Amino acid sequence: MKAVELRNVTKVYKTKYYEVVALRNVNLEVELGEFIAVMGPSGSGKSTLLNLVGCLDKPTKGEVIIKGKRTIDLSDRELTKLRRDEIGFIFQQYNLVPTLTVEENIELPMVFKGVSKEMRERRVKELAEKLGIYDLLERKPAELSGGQQQRVAIARALANKPSILLCDEPTGNLDSKSGEMVMEAIREMNEEGVTVILVTHDETLKRYAERIVKLRDGMIVDVSPDGS
Amino acid sequence: MYLQMALRNLGRAKVRSILAAIGVIIGVTAIASIGIFGESLKNAVLENFKDLANEVIISPSRTHGYTVIDERTLMKIEKAPYIAEIIPVKSAAAEITSKKRTISTVYGLDEDDAREMFKAESGRISFNGRCVVGKMLAEALELRVGSKIYVNGKLFKVSAILEAEGARFDINPNYAVIISQEDFDKIFGDGYDMIIVKVKSIEDVSKFKEYVESSVNYKEKVVDVFEMKSILERIEKAFAQINLFLMAIAGVSLLVAGVSILNVMLMSTIERTKEIGILRAIGAQRSDVLKIFLYEALILGVFGSVIGACLSFVAGYGITSLIVGKTEYVFSLSSALYAFFGLFFGIFTALISGLYPAYRASKLDPIVALRFE
Repeated sequence: MKAVELRNVTKVYKTKYYEVVALRNVNLEVELGEFIAVMGPSGSGKSTLLNLVGCLDKPTKGEVIIKGKRTIDLSDRELTKLRRDEIGFIFQQYNLVPTLTVEENIELPMVFKGVSKEMRERRVKELAEKLGIYDLLERKPAELSGGQQQRVAIARALANKPSILLCDEPTGNLDSKSGEMVMEAIREMNEEGVTVILVTHDETLKRYAERIVKLRDGMIVDVSPDGS
Repeated sequence: MYLQMALRNLGRAKVRSILAAIGVIIGVTAIASIGIFGESLKNAVLENFKDLANEVIISPSRTHGYTVIDERTLMKIEKAPYIAEIIPVKSAAAEITSKKRTISTVYGLDEDDAREMFKAESGRISFNGRCVVGKMLAEALELRVGSKIYVNGKLFKVSAILEAEGARFDINPNYAVIISQEDFDKIFGDGYDMIIVKVKSIEDVSKFKEYVESSVNYKEKVVDVFEMKSILERIEKAFAQINLFLMAIAGVSLLVAGVSILNVMLMSTIERTKEIGILRAIGAQRSDVLKIFLYEALILGVFGSVIGACLSFVAGYGITSLIVGKTEYVFSLSSALYAFFGLFFGIFTALISGLYPAYRASKLDPIVALRFE
């Protein structure tokens, strides 16, 4: 089974006055445990691809298959479940819940899943140690640096042990040193078996990926292995 | 966790949340305190009629051709076990003459009964060829103790003038002449026009009524039995209606509070659009989002309603002591019931008001919400 499959995927956004074709006939397969980078200028369809793989949206044509499930067949409830259990999101803006402590933020996806308090605490501890944020658990996101916040976000994304980690410009708001720490953390997770799809236009992140997918005007223009 | 999130979100916009809660407090206080006041008013009014509740009036069944109750029927009724007091009354209209002339009611009463029922303003109640006159009639005919009057031509000397009485349902002496039953029989003939019975307790009213029905009315309807209790029930019902109406008016303030919760919650959902998007992205179902927002409304409702319910006792006490004067009924079970009622309505209103914003939040498209800044 593949982690992600896109078959002839087209996504069209319609407004009242015009149509935008965001993705045009895209085919892509991502193996379980793979680390790929999706690159391209803004407007190339990166975000759309991310939304489709992240089960936040459904394709206009073609099919997106996440771990063997066609998203087009799923209800909102089932899509949400898939996001919760199989996909972890990491955003450029970290997107932590400001009213909750670090610990509670990491717990949140498990709360939605209905994991017991005891299990949640164990998992939070485990993740916090791995990501070096153990001392920050009682703090609120606003009290943390960008790099710390992003590591909390990674911990949250991994809370339910997803098979796919979707990273949308994870270092975009960070200085190079924090960015590197975050990328190292992501790489570590990948080495433990998590499939990573990294969306970026930062050329320096290429080296983390096993494969690079280049997008332009909604089409895949190049797929090349790392280091090329 | 949802509860904590809701609490902290409310804390994020403290002033706004407190203002919304104050709305609920005012609404609940208004409803419950008016309820408490109304109940106290009713109780204070009913207290005046308390003695009446176990009174039963038996009158001849005129629809079946009986104009008086005869001695035999009276004796049967007197045997009933539930009686605390029985007062047979004779009454008729008669021409009263002194210096002036008028038509007025004449009652024939036992002397002891008369002494128990009425108070003399001047003179002393005694019959034996004499009579007692009600206050109004005495004024109209310019009578004093010792004056002479003719009842249908028969001479009586006035032994006492009675104090003016408030409204009564059985005998109204204000505009009447009261004479002994023997004298009455000589002028008007035998028979009783009314028997006033006081039973031992209010539960005995219906038992007594059954007794009369089976011992006197078993063959034919000889007497009508009228329970004073039924008048009290009607008064109570009228008060309940008035109370409901007043509470409905107070309910308008709760409605306003509901609108303000709606407003606060809508603002909150709009401000937190992005957060809703995040929650949905990391796996919150629509129902989870709905719950988080409903909890906020519920907290506002519970917080405001509990304070409002407590305050309603204070406010209820204030209004009651100002208007009714008697406050002993304020702290009673029925007041607690009204406070509970207000509490329930406050929470209910808050939940209803929270429903639409929560629903809207849960229906947000996660992509659109995530893009919101």
